[in-house]
Amino acid sequence: MARVAREMVEMTGINVDELLELLITNAAAELTTFYYYTILRANLIGLEGEGIKEIAEAARIEDRNHFEALVPRIYELGGKLPDDMNAFHDMSACPPARLPQDITDVKAILQVLVDAERCAVRGYAHICNLTAGKDHRTYALAQAILNEEIEHESWFSEFLGEGPSGHFMRRGETSPFVRPFMPSL
Amino acid sequence: MQTKEVPMREISQEELAACNGIDGAPAWVAYQGLVYDVSSSYHWRQGRHQITNRAGQLYERGLNAAPHGPDLLERFPIVGRLSG
Ligand code: HEM
Ligand SMILES: [Fe+2]
Ligand SMILES: [Fe+2]
Repeated sequence: MARVAREMVEMTGINVDELLELLITNAAAELTTFYYYTILRANLIGLEGEGIKEIAEAARIEDRNHFEALVPRIYELGGKLPDDMNAFHDMSACPPARLPQDITDVKAILQVLVDAERCAVRGYAHICNLTAGKDHRTYALAQAILNEEIEHESWFSEFLGEGPSGHFMRRGETSPFVRPFMPSL
Repeated sequence: MQTKEVPMREISQEELAACNGIDGAPAWVAYQGLVYDVSSSYHWRQGRHQITNRAGQLYERGLNAAPHGPDLLERFPIVGRLSG
């Protein structure tokens, strides 16, 4: 734990224990999403599905990156991940992104994907609101993640016919925003 | 937009407070005089929502700066009106 770093956040009036719970439940959402997206991606097949597989994979890898980027901040602030992975799964800030009943229904899979991204967008917007102008490091991290979640939402919603996303899918490296928070990349 | 028919049942503050979502109790939340049943929501497990919000309570002054509008709440069934 970084004692003074935590103290700086406490001094702004932020309830650090509550902030930590938010960071941990959002980290849980990232890791569980990484897992559930693996299954969704595997089922994105055929003429319709294949075209979406690539962005589902980019979103999947970036969510894993989000998990990786959140963990150091959790420990810096004096928090920790639960010992029990089942408990970690169950505390996810967003519900499991499960395969729809009809696994051949690509539109239904897209709906699961866009719902998961919208939950994430709201979650990080909230963390940004809480930390803006106060906890500069958590803010910068949550804002970097938010940038990527918004892109994920717009990719999937474009396929659902909600209008153009306004950008291309990733070319080359993933996580253009979160990369600076992941020195190992 | 409230388009659902509102049951006339009056719900007391005590009844609302008892529906706190903990250990099998239903999870109800009151917003602008109406009581909603969010028991079926993943987001209100054990009556707790996003760390700081609790079931069994009245949200009189809006949704605690939630990153969403009341439309998410209005999808849930209305149990009645909060009395008093
Ligand atoms: C700190 C304040 C709050 C935060 C950070 C928050 C955050 C969220 C998030 C991230 C979602 C998921 C949305 C999605 O999947 O796109 C959600 C859903 C929801 N929230 Fe909140 N919220 C807050 C306050 C409230 C309050 C005060 C109420 C009601 C009194 C409320 C009622 C709901 C409902 C009913 C849903 C939908 C649940 C479902 O569909 O299963 N929220 N909220
Ligand atoms: Fe993510
Ligand atoms: Fe995402």
